[in-house]
Amino acid sequence: MTRLERRNLRNGLLFISPWIAGFLGFELYPLLMSVYYSFTEFNVIQPPVWSGLANYHELFFDDPVFWRALYNTLYFTAFSVPACLAASIGIAVLLNQKIPAMSVFRTIFFLPSIVPLVASSVLWLWVLNPDSGLINMALKQIFGIEGPGWLADANWAKPALVLMSVWGIGGAVVIFLAGLSDVPPALYEVAELDGAGPFRKFWNVTLPMLTPTILFNLVMGLINAFQYFTQVYVMTGGKGTPVDSTMFYALYLYRSSFFYLRMGYASAMAWLLFIVILAATVGVLVSSKRWVYYHGD
Amino acid sequence: MYLSRSHIVWALAGLACVASAYVLWPRQAATDAERRALAEGRTIIVYWDRHSGHEHEARMRLIDEFNERQSEVYVRGVAVGFNALMEKTLTSTAGHAPPDVQSIDSTFLAQLAPQGIFRPLDDLIAEEPSLHREKFFPFCWDMVFYSGHVWGIPTTTDSYCLLWNKAAFRKAGLDPERPPRTLQELTDYAAKLTIRGETGEIEQMGFLPWLPWDLTHMWGALFGGEWFNYATGRAEIAQDEHLRAAYEWQQSFAYDPGAKEQLPYAMDPERIEAFSKGFGEYFSASNPFYSGKVAMIAEGEWQVTFIPKYAPGLDWGVAPIPQPEGAPPLSYGPAAVVDVIPSTARHPEAAKKFLRWFYSPRPNGGTSPASDYTFEIHNIATRRDEAVQERFVADPKFRVFVNELLTKPVASMPNMPVSLYMMDQIERQRSRVVFRRSTPEQALRDAEAMTNRALDRVRALMARGGGPAGGKTP
Amino acid sequence: MATNRFHRYAAMAALVLFAAIFIMPFVWMLSTSFKHETRIFPPPGEYPQWIPRIDATDAQGRPLVWHRGQSAVDLGADEKGMHRLLENGREISVAAADIARRERIRFYWENYTRAFQMMDFFQNLRNTLYICLMATLGTVLSSSLVAYGFARIPWRGRDALFVVVLASMMLPYQVTLIPLFAVYSKLGWVGSFKPLIVPYFFGVPFYIFLLRQFFKGIPEDLSAAARIDGCTEFGIYARIILPLSKPALATTVLFQFLFQWGDFLNPLIYLQDDRQYTLAIALQQFQSQHESAWGPLMAMSTVITLPVILLFFLAQRTFIQGITMSGLKG
Repeated sequence: MTRLERRNLRNGLLFISPWIAGFLGFELYPLLMSVYYSFTEFNVIQPPVWSGLANYHELFFDDPVFWRALYNTLYFTAFSVPACLAASIGIAVLLNQKIPAMSVFRTIFFLPSIVPLVASSVLWLWVLNPDSGLINMALKQIFGIEGPGWLADANWAKPALVLMSVWGIGGAVVIFLAGLSDVPPALYEVAELDGAGPFRKFWNVTLPMLTPTILFNLVMGLINAFQYFTQVYVMTGGKGTPVDSTMFYALYLYRSSFFYLRMGYASAMAWLLFIVILAATVGVLVSSKRWVYYHGD
Repeated sequence: MYLSRSHIVWALAGLACVASAYVLWPRQAATDAERRALAEGRTIIVYWDRHSGHEHEARMRLIDEFNERQSEVYVRGVAVGFNALMEKTLTSTAGHAPPDVQSIDSTFLAQLAPQGIFRPLDDLIAEEPSLHREKFFPFCWDMVFYSGHVWGIPTTTDSYCLLWNKAAFRKAGLDPERPPRTLQELTDYAAKLTIRGETGEIEQMGFLPWLPWDLTHMWGALFGGEWFNYATGRAEIAQDEHLRAAYEWQQSFAYDPGAKEQLPYAMDPERIEAFSKGFGEYFSASNPFYSGKVAMIAEGEWQVTFIPKYAPGLDWGVAPIPQPEGAPPLSYGPAAVVDVIPSTARHPEAAKKFLRWFYSPRPNGGTSPASDYTFEIHNIATRRDEAVQERFVADPKFRVFVNELLTKPVASMPNMPVSLYMMDQIERQRSRVVFRRSTPEQALRDAEAMTNRALDRVRALMARGGGPAGGKTP
Repeated sequence: MATNRFHRYAAMAALVLFAAIFIMPFVWMLSTSFKHETRIFPPPGEYPQWIPRIDATDAQGRPLVWHRGQSAVDLGADEKGMHRLLENGREISVAAADIARRERIRFYWENYTRAFQMMDFFQNLRNTLYICLMATLGTVLSSSLVAYGFARIPWRGRDALFVVVLASMMLPYQVTLIPLFAVYSKLGWVGSFKPLIVPYFFGVPFYIFLLRQFFKGIPEDLSAAARIDGCTEFGIYARIILPLSKPALATTVLFQFLFQWGDFLNPLIYLQDDRQYTLAIALQQFQSQHESAWGPLMAMSTVITLPVILLFFLAQRTFIQGITMSGLKG
């Protein structure tokens, strides 16, 4: 190790030392305990009793709800993450122009992320109502088609929740806006000299310069979508109706841990989910070497 | 230079934070009343209320009264609410930071009591005549009595009846003063009271068994079925024809895609789900029963207070819920809210003092604070003599609800170590049956297998962990 | 130039359309906060009103109705369902189907006064602000330091350790809540604000990741030049990187503030006294088992949303400053 390498290692560790201290102090013990719980039968009150791989075995071979919840969660993630990503990039680009009252527009797109869910869920129930809801009324009056049953329909409940999740892109938009503000105007000037139109400029300048932010929003989108919980809990009461179509992974885990008093089983579920999310994230991170462009490098 | 300017900005921001932190530093000092209580040498105990809002305020008024009336104990009431009650209860138990006394749902108690998380209240019950076993509705007593001990005191309970809209009856040519008395009548009336629009959409629904929420457990019991065998400590439901009939009957309210002829009241399950999900809130003018969209509904005693408030013009009646012919008469009191003392509470004696005051009649023939509380939150008292107090039964409609609990045996949710799990299984299977993803037979087999497996697991765990054996002692 | 203008108009139109969709939840909340209890939820099948209205009455409080385009006083219905109307001083009897309810616009301010009566607003506000400010301060300071270590200094094992940072966000909170509570209980922190503040002084993975992404985008030449000038790593962090990352830092402040402002579960779990409660918990006070005070709930939701909107409105200026390159070109 050269002197520079040693100095860098020392400095690097020094800078991240707060996180290391916090991780060791607050996070590591709960993390290790939950690994341990996952190999036990633990009802929170009595001490855990070792059960080996029994929880994992039951999850894999003996629990239809688990597979259903996993499928629902993968479905939601597969549709919600790309939809939110595309919508938030589009809106951020629209919001990054010189247009009157832009600060008001920016605020508007962030509003759904601020309004308490207890207040807005009432609106969603109306918007998604099959008979008198806003979406189905619009479908009927504009296109003359009979809308689906949304949350009342086992096939449409998840699309309805995906649709709802797009309203919550305010945070991602803000992050993309911060990313857009870092795109050097000189690059656009060069592109314009080359005769590029707005779409060419977006494709050849904006998008490459946004890749670090896209990576961030993609990874965070994945982590959050796999643990999707609060919205569906408020909207459907958390029982997975109709017929298990909205029984999501985190919902089942929550029910198992604090209501069925199976903290060990829930921990096994949590660590399986952890592995899925980690695999997806590492996959994205490895591929990112090819598509993410850091201006600083 | 730009560097130094940003430095100043950051320094100012930091200073502003420190300054506002100082200004905002939360005043954690005790209130005047608590300081006085400390100076008087009183024991200060903490009460966690499972309710928030209106019910919590009613409870706080009585806690204030207790604090004024005696000078040994001072109770500090905290609204925990229902949204995260289990998380709060379990973290505080596992983390050794419990309150001195708290209220929880009897379904939670059924799961937690066998684990020894609460203190047995046998001595309190024995000392206080107004808390003796025979004072309580038997079904309420059953909710707190496990393994030979009393683990909590039931405070309030509910009763279910059939509510019917007299105007809708008139319009359909039915006698508005004569509610359906048998299940057959209920089903016939449901057909007569169902009105469809031109395209088949529901304009008025006669009756729906799972409105306002899933009541499969209640229907199973009213049909004469047994969801849980307390003698053997197991769910023996797969062969229970009454329970199967309850699932089949509910299924008949949804179209059968395979059948040529549909029952007159049968509807597309998605339409029904849409209808029951409808826009709006249970306690508001948009409640489908209030607005006349549903002509008959199975509901609890609280509606006696809320219908006049949200639908003052509604002309309605209350009657016992019809049962199939031959089924033994039964009423439904699903659960209760219960006061418990955690086993690691710091001041259990002071907590008992508070509970004794709360449940005893006031001197000179007065009512008990528990009864006042029950009256204020429009529920039914858990002790028979209080449930029939004039202020409760003066309203003829409320009297019907109370009478149901007084005159018939009462069915309740399963009181055993996996009660919530079993309830979830029963309801999940109802959804599968109605959407024809399962048959009633299969539904019962699945629910039984899942429940018994969970029970076996809990029992094995308790045997190995040395905790008291679970299940209900008959 | 014509296409340029066309593109701008198209973009503007798209923005207005999307904005109309996104503003709905807020307008809904605002409108509902001014509605009378009986008007918050329409009967099934009817549309909700966007402008609060109540039934119109005459000076004596009798309901007014429309009958054939004329305003009339409804004196009530008889047993046959016929309504007696007082129209132009004459009393007439008409079928219920021939009359329509007359309404007038009325903003029901009482929801707001009731909302403030139902909770100890300023105590809750003070608790919330204290937690928000302290936790946000801790988050910004610690996360930016850690992010610098992950973004700007090459050292062995860095990327592997960074995956650990990310991984700590991937475990559902439900299964660590019990042991985490035990940790705080051992420390004697349960019942105080410490569990809601102190951990944020040790770096928050979400913001470490966010800031790392932005720090990585700053040209390496700047750091190299500073090093040649004898600047320490901390000096580079404090004097070069932080000033150049205002948009990302503003985002961090905003998000962390917003998170703490709305967090319900953690304060409820760790605080043990009503007087420590935050606004998010106090909202529970409007909801009880058998009744929800929707009017005051919406009013209080509006009240606690406004400061965040204001914060966002002020902070969003920094998102567009775009100072990174333009200020340094020369």
